[in-house]
Amino acid sequence: MEILKNFGFDPVMLVAQIINFLIIFYLLKRFLYKPVFEMLKKRQDTISNSLKQAEEIKITLEKTIEEEKKILLKAQNEGKNIIDEARLQAIEIAKEIEENAKKQTEKMIVEARQQIEYESKEVESQISEKVSILASEMLTKSLEGIFSAKEQKQILNKSFKQIKKVN
Amino acid sequence: MVSFAAEPIVRLGFFSVTNAFLDTLLVDAFLIGLIIAVNKNMSKIPGILQNIIEIMTEGFYSLAQSVAGERAAKIFPFFTSFFIFILVANWTGLIPGISAVGFYEDHKLIPFFRAATSDFNVTLALALVSAFATHIMSINTIGIKGYLSRYFSLNPIYLFIGFLEITSEITKVISLSFRLFGNIFAGEIVLGTVATIFAFLFPLPFLMLEVVVGLVQALVFSMLTMAFMAILTTPHHEEAKEVSTHAV
Repeated sequence: MEILKNFGFDPVMLVAQIINFLIIFYLLKRFLYKPVFEMLKKRQDTISNSLKQAEEIKITLEKTIEEEKKILLKAQNEGKNIIDEARLQAIEIAKEIEENAKKQTEKMIVEARQQIEYESKEVESQISEKVSILASEMLTKSLEGIFSAKEQKQILNKSFKQIKKVN
Repeated sequence: MVSFAAEPIVRLGFFSVTNAFLDTLLVDAFLIGLIIAVNKNMSKIPGILQNIIEIMTEGFYSLAQSVAGERAAKIFPFFTSFFIFILVANWTGLIPGISAVGFYEDHKLIPFFRAATSDFNVTLALALVSAFATHIMSINTIGIKGYLSRYFSLNPIYLFIGFLEITSEITKVISLSFRLFGNIFAGEIVLGTVATIFAFLFPLPFLMLEVVVGLVQALVFSMLTMAFMAILTTPHHEEAKEVSTHAV
């Protein structure tokens, strides 16, 4: 005990120091460590929530990209189908138009031929009429001095009959 | 020359206010100020002070976890509080000029402040708190039966070991208190002596040395407390298993 006295041991001071440290210990535990740990936990929660949200956003983004790809592929396929259909339709329409044109051309050709035939016949009949008139005139003129009027008439009738037979 | 015992400044009835006690109050004021400052500016985006406190807290907690595992949550407040209190107490004695402010008594300067841990009452108080806390924690964790089985047994060999354990518990208090007191008190003497040889620049390396000593002693005290707590909160049979595992 004497040795302790030499070191300045004082029971009252010892108790005071124990109480003092216990108070400081309580204050540190209650008002320093606790709030700091709570803050660390809060921050940790915020970080984990943010990470979770980021992960969810990433998954959503991946899904959206996947969906976008699907939609694009679908649109491409639909576009291709439409183009193919349009191409087929165009070919059919072209064929139809070609056939129509062919038919019309053939019809026009037939009509033209008929027209030509008709006109040829017309011209032929006109020519033969004119030739007949000319021939009768020529014949009348050449028979005028040689034959009587009665004979001329008979020859002319005979000649016309002959010409008609030839035609 | 610094005396072993802290010098009384005022006497309040049976209680003598010493310069070491005033330094303790200074340490208290600093720590309470720190608590207020941290709580006042606590936010999700930390400032410099909050950052330092958070880094320290996380560092000490992971250290406690590496030593005590699951019991870290119980041990951490003691470990950290001892460290902070002792560190600040050690370093307050190193504030330049703090031991030069005082009054004369019989032609001798009595400083108003003296490092709290250079007073044996403080270090003994800390060691006793450490020891009591360790034993209470041990009883709470492993139960009274497990706690007593460490010291008492019907087996004479274990009974002898128990006696040695009781002796070691007493020596723990003595070693903790005298180690801290001796180191810090010796530092005070060294600084006082060096300052009397040459007051300018010459004490600086010694001052730096004492800064390191103050940090190391705070760490030694708190680490030993943590180790004692970790050992005493481990059931005796598990401890034996651990020893045998290590031996293999």
